[in-house]
Amino acid sequence: MSTDRDTLTRELLQMVAQEGMVEPSEITPQKKLEELDIQSADFVMILMAIEEKYGAYVSVDNELTDVVTVQDLLDLAISKIEEHQASEA
Amino acid sequence: MRRVVVTGQGAVSACGIGADVLTDATQTGMSGVKSIHFDDLDAQRVKTAARLSKADLAQVLGDKPHRMREPVAEYALTAAREAVAQAGLSEEHFGEACGVSIGSGFGGGQTLNINYLKLGREGSMRLDPMSVPKIMNNAAASWVSMEFGATGPALCLATACSSGSQSIGMGYQMVAAGQVDRCIAGGSEGCLESGVFRVWELLRVMTADVNRPFSKDRNGMILGEGAGILVLESLESAQERGAPILCELVGFGTNSDAGDLLRPNPARAATCMRMALKTANLAPEDIGYVNAHGTGTVANDVNEAVALREVFGDDLAGVQISATKPVHGHALGAAGALEMIVAIGALRRQSVPPTINFTEVDPKIGLEPVPNVAKSTPLKAVMSNSLAFGGINATLIAKAYEQA
Repeated sequence: MSTDRDTLTRELLQMVAQEGMVEPSEITPQKKLEELDIQSADFVMILMAIEEKYGAYVSVDNELTDVVTVQDLLDLAISKIEEHQASEA
Repeated sequence: MRRVVVTGQGAVSACGIGADVLTDATQTGMSGVKSIHFDDLDAQRVKTAARLSKADLAQVLGDKPHRMREPVAEYALTAAREAVAQAGLSEEHFGEACGVSIGSGFGGGQTLNINYLKLGREGSMRLDPMSVPKIMNNAAASWVSMEFGATGPALCLATACSSGSQSIGMGYQMVAAGQVDRCIAGGSEGCLESGVFRVWELLRVMTADVNRPFSKDRNGMILGEGAGILVLESLESAQERGAPILCELVGFGTNSDAGDLLRPNPARAATCMRMALKTANLAPEDIGYVNAHGTGTVANDVNEAVALREVFGDDLAGVQISATKPVHGHALGAAGALEMIVAIGALRRQSVPPTINFTEVDPKIGLEPVPNVAKSTPLKAVMSNSLAFGGINATLIAKAYEQA
């Protein structure tokens, strides 16, 4: 069953905050990950959390390395999760 | 310095048993990647690896598995026996005159994994009493030295994905310096175990679909296993024995990024290639083919292309480049040795092996690495690169043998 986008967005934002060890109030979609001091090691943690929660395995590809803002990360994560859910359906 | 030649080679890989089998597979683009399943991984995410077939594994391990040897040692022994037989070495050629230099990234991955699972699940104290000698990183090198009675220096470099290349390079230096007359050199890896596989999944550098080095849509590597072994010999001793000379090993470069543990530094990789060219007394235009490290991860391929441009010129016009990991997998500590055999195969057959699964040039890379089909071309000298985690770079160069 696919989770709706708003819920997904909310859950993912929480995940970014928790795994990136950032205050949730500091995170807005337009913020650059760099400004939030979210590094590549945090990325790996976020991807692990996505795998645990949604079962989607996301490896590093060109799209992921192009991610700059929180919104970019959300968009990519949502598309990968939806892709995974479609393949499982 | 003495000239160093290759008189024997042996390989065990997902493509099968034998150096020629490996070369054939890379030339025809026949991939050894297979499905892989671990019973003790609840949710295995990546489902392929370049593993040995069951029949090949049974042949390598024998009817009754050796109590003190893991696959990593058995792979090295099988490949070394092939290389030694091809070189035509017999008892009088070993002893102090023969060194061993066989690297491994992980050493014995199997026993440790089984022990941890048993200890964690059952709290069992009854673990394998031979664990320590099976696990130790130098097990493969030591078993090979014992098999042949090679009592010269025995080395085991554990430098991740550069282990095999650096080990061949150290063997080359020992023979060139006259420390030994010959050296059994290469790399071995047997790490396709559930615990090891899972931590590679977590690093997110393994693809869950297809390995496509340098391709725009690449999204990671495929793990492999096996061993590649060369017999390196001084030209004089090879000639004295009337041994077959497969090629001359002319160049070795190695250096460290001393920067980031995981992120490669193209300037350092370029310096490494230049160092190998300098020892080989060759110019970049003498190199006809480069077997790239080409893992198919986003970071490696972008950085390696920058390094290659720095050495071979912006247009990379004079050199053929390909990555053969989609065929034999990324065999970590064995990778550099397997790929050197592939590069030597290209030199001897005058044919560049293709980068299979390649679909589209990545604008960030701008390189089309001999896509999908082998390319016949005159080759005088070939290069193989290894760029490892830990920032360890290694480059080897082989040249067609010519009498002075």
